[in-house]
Amino acid sequence: MAAGFKTAEPLEYHRSFLKENCRPDGRELGEFRPTTLNISSIATADGSALVKIGNTTVICGIKAELTTPPNDAPNKGYIVPNVDLPPLCSSRFRPGPPGEQAQAASQFIADVIESSHLINTEELCIEKAKLCWVLYCDIMCLDYDGNLLDACVVVLLAALKNAQLPQVTINKETDLAEVDIQKKRPLKINRHPVGSSFAVFDDSIIIVDPTAEEESLSTALLTVVTDEDDRLCAIHKPGGTSLSGEKLQHCINRAITRNKEISKLVDKVIKSMKTAK
Amino acid sequence: MAGLELLSDQGYRLDGRKASELRKVQARMSVFAQADGSAYLEQGNTKALAVVYGPHEVRGSRSKSLHDRAVINCQYSMATFSTAERKRRPHGDRKSSEMSLHLKQTFEAAVLTELYPRSQIDIYVKILQADGGNYSACVNAATLALVDAGIPMRDYVCACTAGFVEDTPLADLCHAEESGGGTSLALALLPRSGNIALLQMDARLHQDHLDTLIEAAMTACKGLSEVLDGVVRQHLEEVSVLTRD
Repeated sequence: MAAGFKTAEPLEYHRSFLKENCRPDGRELGEFRPTTLNISSIATADGSALVKIGNTTVICGIKAELTTPPNDAPNKGYIVPNVDLPPLCSSRFRPGPPGEQAQAASQFIADVIESSHLINTEELCIEKAKLCWVLYCDIMCLDYDGNLLDACVVVLLAALKNAQLPQVTINKETDLAEVDIQKKRPLKINRHPVGSSFAVFDDSIIIVDPTAEEESLSTALLTVVTDEDDRLCAIHKPGGTSLSGEKLQHCINRAITRNKEISKLVDKVIKSMKTAK
Repeated sequence: MAGLELLSDQGYRLDGRKASELRKVQARMSVFAQADGSAYLEQGNTKALAVVYGPHEVRGSRSKSLHDRAVINCQYSMATFSTAERKRRPHGDRKSSEMSLHLKQTFEAAVLTELYPRSQIDIYVKILQADGGNYSACVNAATLALVDAGIPMRDYVCACTAGFVEDTPLADLCHAEESGGGTSLALALLPRSGNIALLQMDARLHQDHLDTLIEAAMTACKGLSEVLDGVVRQHLEEVSVLTRD
């Protein structure tokens, strides 16, 4: 009976739960789904991480290559994020070139990396104007159940913390790069940005961490990215119904709390990796 | 060619296995919530994910639908971080298209498509880490995903690679052995009937050795089918325990 009601009138079905201040999967309005993190699963990548927020599963692999620095910034390296939404993650995505959502997510991640100063690109430069690292961060969604952007930010952070780059020196005589695979050092991460996504229902009710269904029924979506010093890195509200200033402030506060939870999780996992070694 | 010794004097291979020993296989079914059927399989260091959607209505052009059976649509792709060198074109290149076609043909032989006329079954396979035997890992993972989706099949489809070094057949090649320049044969088998779904070999091999090579690959596939069967039964037990409570 409930399943029939859910298919026929999904919005009413969700409204009936929201009236009682809870959601169909039993969560509170401000509750995130259980988040699990796994790092270093892919041996061929220089750094990798897998994140599950509820059913949403996202994996990130970091590959580092050598190239010449850009002409306008000869002392900087590159960091290139890419978000891929393959058809296997959900039946709503078709095979073919990256769709709108994937491209928008890639641009969002690129903006977050830049605005939060996650990594100092000067550190990626090995020799000014001659050699630098380019870090390809390939983020792939394996199971799409809403809240893609949060998962992408967390998985990127975890993968970068896990990445190890070999030592590169330039031979003075031959002017060629010499890579020492044995000596590896981790990247220096300056900031820890963490995102929190919200969905607005009926112009008034705000829920945290929407599932795919809730996203499709919502009237507006909002993502807030903060760093560990409680500073804002990015706010992303692509259209939708308008939101009052105080509701926005409320969301920002929730995002700040979420940052602490996720930072603790990432640190715990990284530490357990180190002790396991 | 001196250098890497694929088979040492004591009979050990590069990774310490014996000639006919398979790599460790670990698999899990029902890993994703969105898909109708999904499976994750590790064969040594090769990690493959298979996801099945269907049977559902034919998407795209109506003309692609067949009036008497289901259309199987396969897509094979490798993650950009799956190989030692970053893969620039993960899908759409010739190798991926060839693999997708091979997978489609393999499963058309095994799935009872006559039960679902005018519909489509999508099989998406992704390699997360490649260390030789990519096609085999995909076929094995896709078999588990199809079983998970509840799509009826004639038999499990098990695949394995085999190679030939100094008159000894090697089963389940890793990347170093495959690219070493020796013979490598990929075989997809329906174990109970012993029927071959797909056989591919691109190398120079003396005719007399072909039988031993196919024999080695078939034995490896039969061994794999027992492992896959074990995984399916264990998964069923776990699921039935959950639903009983």
